[in-house]
Amino acid sequence: MTAPTDRDLILLARRGETEAFGELVTRYQTSVFNVCYRILHERGEADDLVQESFMRAYDRLNTFDLSREFGPWIRRVAANLCLNHLESQKVTAPLDEERDADERQRPEKQVEVKERSEQIRGALASLPAQYRVVVELRHYQELSYDEIASEMKIPLSDVKSHLFRARKILAEKLHAPD
Amino acid sequence: MHLTEEQLNEYLDNETTERAQIESHLSTCDECAARLTALKTLFAELDSLPELTLSRNIAARFMPQGQLTPQLPRWLTLTATLQAAVALITLIVAAPFVMNLLPAIEIPSFTDVFIQLQSQWITWFDVLSAFQLPTTPQLPALEISSLMLSLTLAGVSMLWLVGNGLLLRKQS
Repeated sequence: MTAPTDRDLILLARRGETEAFGELVTRYQTSVFNVCYRILHERGEADDLVQESFMRAYDRLNTFDLSREFGPWIRRVAANLCLNHLESQKVTAPLDEERDADERQRPEKQVEVKERSEQIRGALASLPAQYRVVVELRHYQELSYDEIASEMKIPLSDVKSHLFRARKILAEKLHAPD
Repeated sequence: MHLTEEQLNEYLDNETTERAQIESHLSTCDECAARLTALKTLFAELDSLPELTLSRNIAARFMPQGQLTPQLPRWLTLTATLQAAVALITLIVAAPFVMNLLPAIEIPSFTDVFIQLQSQWITWFDVLSAFQLPTTPQLPALEISSLMLSLTLAGVSMLWLVGNGLLLRKQS
């Protein structure tokens, strides 16, 4: 017997079978968690946002367009929630301030962070909120510039400038000589 | 004239319409080729981030095992326990009296019971044999055409489908 498709599970969940939605959560919770963790860089907050993303998805299940893929959709929901979360916390410092602050911390951070992946995560986490989400949507969710603009409701020119500046910052942090 | 950052980024993102010109320039300009390589390295590093595992299973919150076996209210559990205790005590207290009364009760033999049941059955059988249905007035013959029958069946099927649809509709 073949496993039910995401579409089957959504239809069952719409009829009130919460186990079917539980199966969808099982399928996508890890990828959604990774979206949240890449953006937030804080495990507890990422866990909370994963849960909130699925709760939001559950509430919107009746209006979900079945011709779309559930996985990419829920990951975008999560990315947007993370952006809202960061903006509500006002942790997004202006770009120059952020860069200057990081320049001061960089030597200590590089000593502390042993794993390369942790360095990358740290670099991502130091980006302004909107830059993080643009990087997430481009590199990990493979959206086009137009799709990112539509998803984040920002002009195409902003998508490009956020993405290119984010990459410049990341390259400076990750490829800087020791 | 070197390539701009925007051109290099758009080239790697497959978002440019100037691919041929950019590739032509890259083939002759070491500096721009090196910048492109650095950018590719960054892309590879971002792609290399390992997937982390969740520290808790979110899916468990959507599995309603608890709802399938609901807990009885406390007062009901207590009442049932009390009833069982009273019944047991009554049985223990009443047991000696029942044992004394048992020999006084006349228990008919199996043969007596069988003969009694048989005579009862014969009586019922006689009554049933003598029973006559009341005469009913003659009804006119009902003529149903095949078209009428088909329409009736189609109507009943539609009603059945609509009824099931209503039943299966999500209860909000």
